[in-house]
Amino acid sequence: MLEMIIVDGLSFSLPLFIMAIGGIYSEKSGITNLALEGFQGFGAFTGAFVTVYLYGIFGAESSVPYYAGFLFAVIGGGIFALLHALLCVKFNANQVISGVVMNILAVALTSFLTKRINASMFGSNANKFMLGASSRLTIPIIGEVYPFEVMIVIVSIVMWYVMYRTVYGMRLRACGDNPHSADAAGINVYAVRTVAVLISGCLSGMAGMSFAYSVSANFSPDIYLGYGYLSIAALIFGNWSILPSLFACLMFGFARSAGSAVIHQLGLPSSYNDLVRILPYVLTLLLLVFFGKNNRSPRALGQVYNKGQR
Amino acid sequence: MRKFSQSLFAIIISLAFGALILWLMGKDPVSAYMDILRGSGLMEKVKYSGRQNMFTDFMSFIDALTPMIFASLAVALALKGGFFNIGIAGQMLFAGFCAHMAALFIPSKIAVIVIGFIAGALIGALIGWLKYRFNVNEVVTSIMLDSILMYLITFYINTFYINPVSRQSKSIISGARLTLSGFRWEGMKLDIALAFPVAIITAVILNWFIERTTYGYEIKATGLSPHAAYYAGINVNRTALMTMTLSGALAGLAGVSYFCGYLAAIQPGETPLIGFDAIAVSLLGGNNPLGCVFASFLITVISKGTIYMSSRQNIDIEIASLITAFILTFAACSSFLGRRRK
Repeated sequence: MLEMIIVDGLSFSLPLFIMAIGGIYSEKSGITNLALEGFQGFGAFTGAFVTVYLYGIFGAESSVPYYAGFLFAVIGGGIFALLHALLCVKFNANQVISGVVMNILAVALTSFLTKRINASMFGSNANKFMLGASSRLTIPIIGEVYPFEVMIVIVSIVMWYVMYRTVYGMRLRACGDNPHSADAAGINVYAVRTVAVLISGCLSGMAGMSFAYSVSANFSPDIYLGYGYLSIAALIFGNWSILPSLFACLMFGFARSAGSAVIHQLGLPSSYNDLVRILPYVLTLLLLVFFGKNNRSPRALGQVYNKGQR
Repeated sequence: MRKFSQSLFAIIISLAFGALILWLMGKDPVSAYMDILRGSGLMEKVKYSGRQNMFTDFMSFIDALTPMIFASLAVALALKGGFFNIGIAGQMLFAGFCAHMAALFIPSKIAVIVIGFIAGALIGALIGWLKYRFNVNEVVTSIMLDSILMYLITFYINTFYINPVSRQSKSIISGARLTLSGFRWEGMKLDIALAFPVAIITAVILNWFIERTTYGYEIKATGLSPHAAYYAGINVNRTALMTMTLSGALAGLAGVSYFCGYLAAIQPGETPLIGFDAIAVSLLGGNNPLGCVFASFLITVISKGTIYMSSRQNIDIEIASLITAFILTFAACSSFLGRRRK
């Protein structure tokens, strides 16, 4: 049972974590990102489409569709995120509104396109892309994991390095705290922010594809379950830093899997799972209430940067 | 006037965009758009089934419109006061749920409205209080509360209040429902939204409240610049609390007119989508209460009329939300394109 809790917990926490890292990139650069939910859904959509398409060419046994699916989930999430970047950076749109609109647009666009593509390319009426179960790798101590978990671990280490150990990372953080000084130091604030939002889209796309495999083994509009908002809770809980956010994601994931296990063990109906799902949100809210003073968002978060304005 | 032209610009561009998509799919955009108008009872359909005509269609359209008006008013008021109430969906759900529970004991329409108003106001007040007492960002609180309320209510419905056939909550008894469903009149079967007049009156009162009263002035001043408002002697904390309480109350009215009117039951496991659409609808309406009524009208015409259009033209029903999403996207950037030109 303990092993099951760890395996299930990890397969939920890690996609959440990679999405939270994406959110941290965007918000550290000064762009509020409520659109993570939409990014992950759109990424999952493009990834699942490519996977299903390649099944027809390589056959379901090949591992090519699996990895190509993740590649295109990253690309799709990134492209969709560019729209958010366009609105927030170029058009000076209100970032919260843009985020909400991106989510609405992602749900509408992916539901519509999934049906159209299914009808015109695969000759079916379904509103989902069936992916099939992901293969699993066996890793000593931890047990069976999905291949995407290994990918996520590698990518998140790289992203941590970029954020805290490279020039780009430092510039990105400067843009979120004081864009005008950053500009004075010769940094192109618009470019840094655009790239940051792009990164958040790519990482969210990866997370979305992981959820498509781990939660439901297909892509359908049901993928919009609010995990994007949960990862926002995680990054706020983690005070906009990557390592504390990992802690928050692990806690959310294990609380979820342990809660389900306990409920299963006690023989309660599965509707009691909904009570467990509340935990992360309540914890985040309490943390903000009691330790809100220590919790510091990037100073220029959500502010439109206008070069000519002083 | 500028806001009006911006909204018009967003609508025209999106309708052109939608027409392009319809054209690419090999459909005639003009007849598709006319079918949208027919579906929402604004044009005569080719044929009607028994006891139905253009007027019954229009009445069901009004039924769908009512919650959207309340929800967009809630967003507009909060935005005037400098708040993003993106928790409309959660407040609606909570108010609808409380009204459902109350109707078990007090089966009265007035009680449903009052309970919805109070329940929404409580959640709004909580968000406002956390904001000024602990400085917790209202966007974050709203998101957290949305999920908490959704899971709690889902749990309660699934455990104690489920209709095993429909997999939804039990239906509210018709004596407390805010929509008279299947009302017979002159040989027609009508859905009469009793809350609709309330919605229109609320919009007019809200407009007067914001533009003509001291409280309204304080809300606007606080929204534009809290520091300036503070130095002008306005009690900023009290104003913030009042703004969020009222906004929550309006969301509560949206909730009861949706869950105890337009629908009679609550679907567990999801928050109402119009709670999010309302944010952009309010934006489209220039955050003006009367503008909100028109914007709600337009968005509901599209979302309601497209059901008929999609079956007539053999197009996927998802096109409705797609066109709506385009309007909202263009509304989000067009108003700011305009601001940049200043």
